[in-house]
Amino acid sequence: MSVICVDHLTRDYGGGKGVFDLVFSVEKGEAFGFLGPNGAGKTTTIRHLMGFLKAQQGQCRIDGLDCWRDSDKIQARLGYVPGEISFFGDMTGAEYLRFMEGYRKLGAGNRKKELLDWFELDPSGKIKKMSKGMKQKLGLVAAMMHDPEILIFDEPTSGLDPLMQSRFVELVAAEKQKGKTILLSSHMFEEVERTCDRIGIIRAGRLAAVDSVEALRQRHIRRYTVTLDSVQQAEAFAKDFDGQQEGCRVTVATRQSLEEIFMNYYGGRGE
Amino acid sequence: MMSGVLYKREMKASIRLLVIFGAVLTLYVSIIISMYDPELSALLDSYVELMPELMAAVGMTAGATTLIGFMCSYLYGFILLIFPMLFCILRGNALVAKYVEDHSMVSLVAAPVKRRTIALTQMLVLLTGTVILVGYSTILELVCGAWYFPGELDTAQLLTLNGGLLCLHLLIGGICFAASCLAPDTKYSVGFGAGVPILMYVIQMLANMGGKVENAKYFTFFTLFDPEGLVARESGALAGAALLGLGGLALYGLGAAAFCRKDLHI
Repeated sequence: MSVICVDHLTRDYGGGKGVFDLVFSVEKGEAFGFLGPNGAGKTTTIRHLMGFLKAQQGQCRIDGLDCWRDSDKIQARLGYVPGEISFFGDMTGAEYLRFMEGYRKLGAGNRKKELLDWFELDPSGKIKKMSKGMKQKLGLVAAMMHDPEILIFDEPTSGLDPLMQSRFVELVAAEKQKGKTILLSSHMFEEVERTCDRIGIIRAGRLAAVDSVEALRQRHIRRYTVTLDSVQQAEAFAKDFDGQQEGCRVTVATRQSLEEIFMNYYGGRGE
Repeated sequence: MMSGVLYKREMKASIRLLVIFGAVLTLYVSIIISMYDPELSALLDSYVELMPELMAAVGMTAGATTLIGFMCSYLYGFILLIFPMLFCILRGNALVAKYVEDHSMVSLVAAPVKRRTIALTQMLVLLTGTVILVGYSTILELVCGAWYFPGELDTAQLLTLNGGLLCLHLLIGGICFAASCLAPDTKYSVGFGAGVPILMYVIQMLANMGGKVENAKYFTFFTLFDPEGLVARESGALAGAALLGLGGLALYGLGAAAFCRKDLHI
């Protein structure tokens, strides 16, 4: 059974903005990448899943429950990290986590300490004075300390340094291993490629394609095999262009940018 | 029905304002009550003679012959209206609209807590603050009255009067809370939550000055609060207070209902 189910969701903000007749679903234990440029409707879709917005048409369901009506029941098993995190600025990180523990009615056996250690986060400072990366870590701890079965990340690594990004990728992999269902939105192909099984591409509020990561990769990575005069030259060439060397032959690959991938899906429509 | 953890956090945020306003009220109420004295009251009355319009605008009229009449005139026209009103304006906006605006609301709604529970909790925080301020004023008045003029102040009359005052502030709090829940952003929340009560108060000041502008009293809810009438237990004054209180509760309910149905772009 699908855990997350978006069924003909429509919200028209006028002027072509919004999401239109969106249909996709995420299966149990699957990591689904929700890929699209800024303003394509990713966050709008997620806000419907979170029960922040009421669908104009169609509906969203999580575990068979309506995302608007039963959002409180859904939230008990869901963890959410928004792209632009903001907290009660007057609190320290530790106060905020303690507040969320109480607010969510969590017992002492929650994952707060484990997650703080994982992200090497010291939450004792004022949230107002924390860097973007620290806030993001705090958001991740707060979203995951109740060990939710479903995780929704909205552009989780935007503004994070590469070290932190790979920490995050490891975390997603570990959670997937445990059978968690994950929805991750991003505007970077590389990010979803590293973490997800399947990818849905959204543009201008409409779903352009849903495909497995492998299929997308096959379609959008072009390989060239070049034969050089000598093995030495081939070695140097492989080193410079990050290719695979086999005797005098070197295979290099280029990856299409997200825009090019979109162009592929919208091919020749002049967009 | 309500979240104890959230209530505690919000009450902690209210305390600073409550202490400040409590201190200001302590100062004013004790000084004004201590000034009740036929001779010194003549001094205040001389101000009224000097600038009748200005003093009348803030509800001060001359010739009070009882302590409670004196208090109606010098406390219930300005001090006891303005400070609880400021509290409602500041906290009302902060409890809902500000959290939506700065996206802190995400933490509250992305949790297994119903929107209704959040709305009722925030509503209760504002109500508690209002009750604390009016209750504290009542105790203060009783203590000061007993200290300076033992036996002068009729407790039952004072309780009726302050019951009416509470109803008035229920309505003001209701306006601020409803504005905070209904407004699409803090600009409108502050605009309506602060604008409406202040405008109503200004109209009341105009109406108090008498003459042609007296008809302005039909355009402000402050007219429904009639201190002298409450002390005398006039049915009109009691009905006015009841109307204020019911209106306040209706506005609180409207705000909570609106928050439950609201699209949150957070």
